[in-house]
Amino acid sequence: MKWVLLSAAGALALGLFAWLWRVFGGTSRVDLLVAFRNLVQHRRRSAFLGGAIAAVTAFLVLLSGLSAGVRETMLRTATTLMTGHINVAGFYKVTEGMSAPVVADYEKVLAVVHEAVPEMRYAVARGRGYAKVVSDSGSMQLGINGIDVRAEPAFAEVVQLASGNLGDLAKPNTLLLFESQAKKLDVKVGDMLTLSAPTTRGINNTLDVRLIGIAHDLGLLSTWNCYMPAESLRELYRLNPGSTGAIQLLLRDDALPNTPAIMARLRKALEARGYRLLDPDPEPFFVKFDKVNREDWTGQKLDVTSWEDELSFFSWTLKALDGLSATLLAILLAIVVIGIMNTMWIAIRERTREIGTLRAIGMQREQVVRQFLLEALMLGLVATVAGVVLGAVAAAGLNAARIPVPIGAQIFLLSNHLFFAVHAGTLASAVAAITLVTGLAALYPSLRAAKLRPVSAMQHFG
Amino acid sequence: MSAIVSVRGAVKEYALGAVKVQALRGVDLEVGEGEFLSIAGPSGSGKTTLLNLIGCVDTATSGVVQVAGKDTASLSERQLTELRLNTIGFIFQSFNLVSVLSVLQNVELPLLLQRRFSGKERHDRVLDLLGRVGLADHAKHRPSELSGGQRQRVAIARALVTRPQIVLADEPTANLDSVTGENILALMRELNRTERTTFIFSTHDAKVMAHASAVVRIADGRVLGREAPAAAQAEGH
Repeated sequence: MKWVLLSAAGALALGLFAWLWRVFGGTSRVDLLVAFRNLVQHRRRSAFLGGAIAAVTAFLVLLSGLSAGVRETMLRTATTLMTGHINVAGFYKVTEGMSAPVVADYEKVLAVVHEAVPEMRYAVARGRGYAKVVSDSGSMQLGINGIDVRAEPAFAEVVQLASGNLGDLAKPNTLLLFESQAKKLDVKVGDMLTLSAPTTRGINNTLDVRLIGIAHDLGLLSTWNCYMPAESLRELYRLNPGSTGAIQLLLRDDALPNTPAIMARLRKALEARGYRLLDPDPEPFFVKFDKVNREDWTGQKLDVTSWEDELSFFSWTLKALDGLSATLLAILLAIVVIGIMNTMWIAIRERTREIGTLRAIGMQREQVVRQFLLEALMLGLVATVAGVVLGAVAAAGLNAARIPVPIGAQIFLLSNHLFFAVHAGTLASAVAAITLVTGLAALYPSLRAAKLRPVSAMQHFG
Repeated sequence: MSAIVSVRGAVKEYALGAVKVQALRGVDLEVGEGEFLSIAGPSGSGKTTLLNLIGCVDTATSGVVQVAGKDTASLSERQLTELRLNTIGFIFQSFNLVSVLSVLQNVELPLLLQRRFSGKERHDRVLDLLGRVGLADHAKHRPSELSGGQRQRVAIARALVTRPQIVLADEPTANLDSVTGENILALMRELNRTERTTFIFSTHDAKVMAHASAVVRIADGRVLGREAPAAAQAEGH
């Protein structure tokens, strides 16, 4: 069946190529000249339609730039702050019913990771915990991340401080909060807070920490995360120095599409070294505790997940954005198709006698098709190139203006301003796709024009 | 003189709603190589329909139309187009030039469609023909910048540029003043003599018929007879 489908697809592709060769193979400068001059002769119509195509293209560039910008911002922010591209988390159970987010002797795990994943840029060890943060005037439950801020330069690029000094997070017993958290706790840089957390042995421990920085909010992630030195987190939880909460791997950009294969390879490597692993489960680590606590094992199991697994609750944002983009794109392309087809019908009606004459003096049908397709493609190409330039300039302008995102949207966009990610590949794709759509829209009217009988076409008036 | 065009028992019917109209009712015609033949008759007599059949832009309902030895009914659409391109030149009453192309490009167009000649060969041939029709200085003009007579000269050059065996002209002087019309016919006649190209043109103007080597009279879709131009002119007056 597969071969039949492949053969049919191959035959179709060959047929299409042969047809295209027949239509465009003998294109001469006069063909191009006729197409160009017809566009110029009807300059108002060409300008109107070309303007519409350019506007649609520019809008498409902005839309795809926004979608890519949100995706990239989310990926960069989330992977840096919380997940890495691949997560090797630990669940450690002293008793069957109580688990803690701990990777024991993590340097050994890290060695396996280095060996199994050559596509890795770097890996970081993050302590994980959940504590009550108490200030003089309030308290809140927050996820605590233990971090070695000196080992994570990307962290400083993502987290923008409103006040304080990020470097101070390297000092013991310090804490970094986000603006909304600091506001709720009514604290400022230099204030002391108390962290209270249950240890793996089931008793509560407390630690006094100094607030060294308040960072600008970064959406949903900043509502439940805060940061302290990894060593201080170990002290809070009474963990030994060789333990951490998770190892987060940051991959090279070109390796990102292969994340599932890399994860599978890493799982195999860890199992080969005798580590026990949780079954693959595309959920964030914090929702797995209940399930793990119900399982009848003790000791350590590792859990290998991707950033998408850890942020699966965000995926609807991207899906909604993609859905919205696709809907808008379909509507806009439908407008382009209708515009082109309508213009072609008008052009064919106006030039019916000319078509008849050309057919009479020896122009083959596919050459008539070529005439009209060239006209549409030429208009499409010029308009889309203008459109992508317009779109790229508009995106650069909007990025420079740092348009603020409403608070509600910040939660899901993980950014406090809009960012349009416009790449050369996107621009080239937009030019190719819309020019192609323009050509396809002109195809049917062109074929109809070519089917006109010379004698009928020459007798046409109008 | 061998026949380059042979029409036998040609019938052409058109459907006008539910009514069938016979434009040609069994036409027989033989045209020899190198003739300068006029098809004469009043409006609606079937002149244009007959030229359309000979020019392979239309097909007969019944009967046989042979052009350059080929039975047109047996040819595919593609072959008919090739026959038109390589064997027949057309001159239209309304000139039918491509408005967005220059004079030179209009004349060059059939050569581009043939794809046989290099750019230089095409250019030389076009300029030679434009010189012969007196438009060498107008090569870069657009049709809209020319007079009616000049446009028809361009059309003649375009019809002759492929050196066709037959040139068909449907009332070539109908949209021209009498002096210009005379000049155009004189030019066609000269090219007929020098190039040995067969010209078949339709007209209902007796003065135009006078230029022909023979006149075929047609009325109500039937050929009435073939006569010498002098006789035709006398009858016309």
